[in-house]
Amino acid sequence: MTFLQDPEFGDRIITLMAALVLVLQIAAVGQRWLVSSIRIFAVQSFLLAGIAGIIAYFNHASHIYIAAMLTLILKAGLLPWLLERLVRRIEIRREIEPLINAPLSILIAGGLTLVGYVVAQSFYHPEETSVRGALGHNTLAVAIALFLIGFFTMLNRRKALTQVLGLLSLENGLFLAAISLTYGMPLVVELGIFFDVLVAVMVLGILVFRIREAFDSMDVSKLRNLRE
Amino acid sequence: MNTLPVGPAFALSLAAYSTGALASLAIWRKPALCRYICCGSALAGASFGGLAAVLGILQGAPLRWSISSGIPLFAYSFDYDALAGFFNLTLAILAGAVSIYSFGYLKEFEGKRNIGFFGFLFHLLLLSLTIVFTAANAFLFLIGWEVMALAAYGLVTFYHEDRETRRAGLLYIVMAHIDAGCLLLGFALLMQVSGSADFASFRTAAGHLSSSQQAVAFVLFFVGFGIKAGVIPFHIWLPAAHPVAPSNISSLLSGVVLKAGIYGMTRVFLDGLGVLPSWAGLLVLIVGVASAVLGVLYALMEHDLKRLLAYHSIENIGIILIGLGAALVFRVAGHPQLAGLALIAALFHTLNHAIFKCLLFLGAGSVLHSTGTRNMEELGGLIRPMPVTAFCFLIGAVAISGLPPLNGFVSEWLTYQSLLAGFGATGGLTRILFPLAGSMLALTGALAAACFVKAFAITFLALPRNAGSRSAHEAPRSMLVGMSWLAMACVALGLGATWFLPAFDALTEQLLGQRIGSNLISSHGWVLSAGTPHGGMVSTSVIAIALLLLLIPALLVVSIAARRFASKRGPAWDCGLPGLTEDNEYTATAFSKALRMIFSVLYQPRREIQTVFDVSPYFPKAIRFESEIEPTFEKRLYVPLKDLLLRFATRMRAIQAGSIHAYLAYIFVTLVLLLLFGVRP
Repeated sequence: MTFLQDPEFGDRIITLMAALVLVLQIAAVGQRWLVSSIRIFAVQSFLLAGIAGIIAYFNHASHIYIAAMLTLILKAGLLPWLLERLVRRIEIRREIEPLINAPLSILIAGGLTLVGYVVAQSFYHPEETSVRGALGHNTLAVAIALFLIGFFTMLNRRKALTQVLGLLSLENGLFLAAISLTYGMPLVVELGIFFDVLVAVMVLGILVFRIREAFDSMDVSKLRNLRE
Repeated sequence: MNTLPVGPAFALSLAAYSTGALASLAIWRKPALCRYICCGSALAGASFGGLAAVLGILQGAPLRWSISSGIPLFAYSFDYDALAGFFNLTLAILAGAVSIYSFGYLKEFEGKRNIGFFGFLFHLLLLSLTIVFTAANAFLFLIGWEVMALAAYGLVTFYHEDRETRRAGLLYIVMAHIDAGCLLLGFALLMQVSGSADFASFRTAAGHLSSSQQAVAFVLFFVGFGIKAGVIPFHIWLPAAHPVAPSNISSLLSGVVLKAGIYGMTRVFLDGLGVLPSWAGLLVLIVGVASAVLGVLYALMEHDLKRLLAYHSIENIGIILIGLGAALVFRVAGHPQLAGLALIAALFHTLNHAIFKCLLFLGAGSVLHSTGTRNMEELGGLIRPMPVTAFCFLIGAVAISGLPPLNGFVSEWLTYQSLLAGFGATGGLTRILFPLAGSMLALTGALAAACFVKAFAITFLALPRNAGSRSAHEAPRSMLVGMSWLAMACVALGLGATWFLPAFDALTEQLLGQRIGSNLISSHGWVLSAGTPHGGMVSTSVIAIALLLLLIPALLVVSIAARRFASKRGPAWDCGLPGLTEDNEYTATAFSKALRMIFSVLYQPRREIQTVFDVSPYFPKAIRFESEIEPTFEKRLYVPLKDLLLRFATRMRAIQAGSIHAYLAYIFVTLVLLLLFGVRP
């Protein structure tokens, strides 16, 4: 079992998982069923927790295990469950037409991935990288792409619920960036971020209900009527 | 000497304020108990705070406590040096008097208003002031500063059902935020140079400031602290906000919260920015002169008792700034002795103004409490139903007018002496400015005396002008105790000035490197001397004794005359128009008419008389009279500024589409562009 100590092996696993995360993210852009979107997010978070666990294992950073566990419980478990319950309650299964249609959205997502790689390139200095630093240098590019695509999803969708999903995958990108660059921020910061996300989901969950009550629709474009 | 328990006393006072705040909130449902707790814990906090301040001043050496917070740049550091001790003493004297006064004053709130919430804000205000006066870390200071502003906002808008109150509160909070913004920028500049947020590091980094950085920091701090202190032209919030607050709070706002601005200026200008150039001192001096003269001129035209007092706060802040500015000029010119004199004058006036202004506001509060009106034109004759209040108010009025032998006289006299000495000690333009400032100060003093003749006479003398003042009653005993305590302090600080001034030794040694307080006492121990060449000498105690001695022959003459000629009672002389009523009384408007004419360039008075008649103008049915003065600063400076801002805001509305997608798109595009911009080769 020597390969379990080999950083090279860890790097490959992480790259593979990060690639999967990215693929899932792009799949979510084209997805129109709400429940499927939520499940994609859950799987993505599960993979993310895996990446965090592997980084913790190869770097012997025990506090990252806690972050990984939290990701697993909160993002792969609790949040998808909350959101699915919300979907059942408001009885809306499908997203109406997004602002930009699916094929074009996926193209844009591809473009944003490119932007991620361009940006990450400037942080990559192979001559300086130690074995430790080599671990997951691809992940930063994926993380930035994840962040941008998540943001784009928020922009593109009309329903408050799918915007919440966009926000959550955006946050996944941040988490990935933080963990691949710094091998774990101080635990206090991580806890703060988790708490933030949780509160955001709560608030948005309430907001979804309120918007629907007030406007008979979940379409945030209708909020425009509040202007005058 | 380092065995004095300053730290424990200070900690106990913080603890008393904090528990008071929480306890008030916890038991708000029981108003009577809440009132006891509220006033009791504030009094306890003030006593401990006062004890700590006295011990700290006796100790002489600065103390420092610091608890690391784990957050970069932030620490719970407190410096208890002579300056902090002095301002804490001021706070403690006032907080003690106000909490005793509030015991009676809050009784009418029972069942009508939430005393618990009031107590919470009251304690929060006292706590934040204590923190502001002792903080040694820029962020701790700013947190204290903001909490102070918010607590004061809550208290100003306590009678929030009134539209005027809400407007005043809004104006106050806007100005408070501009001022906090200036301070934040100023501290950021200092932090950039020193690399730390600790006040001690600013002191050492002051030498590395370039002259332009120093100038920018000075202007930022001057505007920031100037808004809080209410100097002209940043004063507009003050006459709006102070009168609408409950009276016990008005007295604290005018007495201590304004002084937080003075504290900040003293701390930063004399202690944190290195030696400021002479233009900075002159700017402070000129702004001080403008505030003093304009403040008292506006006060003269005011008929609302509390607004009148608020305008007098502007005047007195001006007098304090005159002393402070003179101290800055003298320090850079190399006259530490004169700088010390001017600084002591400024700080002593700070303490004195705090005490007599608090006293006057409490007096006005008793009047309001008893008659239900602040309008002087409806008051009158209150000296008979409210003799103690009237006497206390009179003491305050004499003190604020700078008449010997009370405390206001001593500090204004010291200010004069430093200005007169400045004529001989400096050259060029400065040489002319000092005697000019001195003459303006003299004008201010005379106008202030005129204004308080008006305020006292119209309010307390002659016949009552409306039903409220006819049925007036004396204030409850606790309110009288609170006021008499301050009145006694006015007398004690006036007569005992020679005993009190050496306490400034540690302060001037810390800020200017010389012990100057003791130099002001001549060898007899009872006589104040300016300690300057050709400087004056004066003794308040001798003046007091002389006044008493003069009183004896006068009393003798009166008593002999009364025995010789039997006293007769008859109607007052009525110019042959029998049946004089209170409508024929001299009014406040009439009293200030002469000055309104003299200074009409400044006031731009407007008068409108409309006569309603049926047949002939010689037989009018009704006459309507309207008179007002132009609010120059509001009209000429703030209204154009507000219009400009609104026009800009209307333009900016185009991008405020009200659509979440548009906002997200703004952020998204900015983000992607910034990312690409950041990595460009």
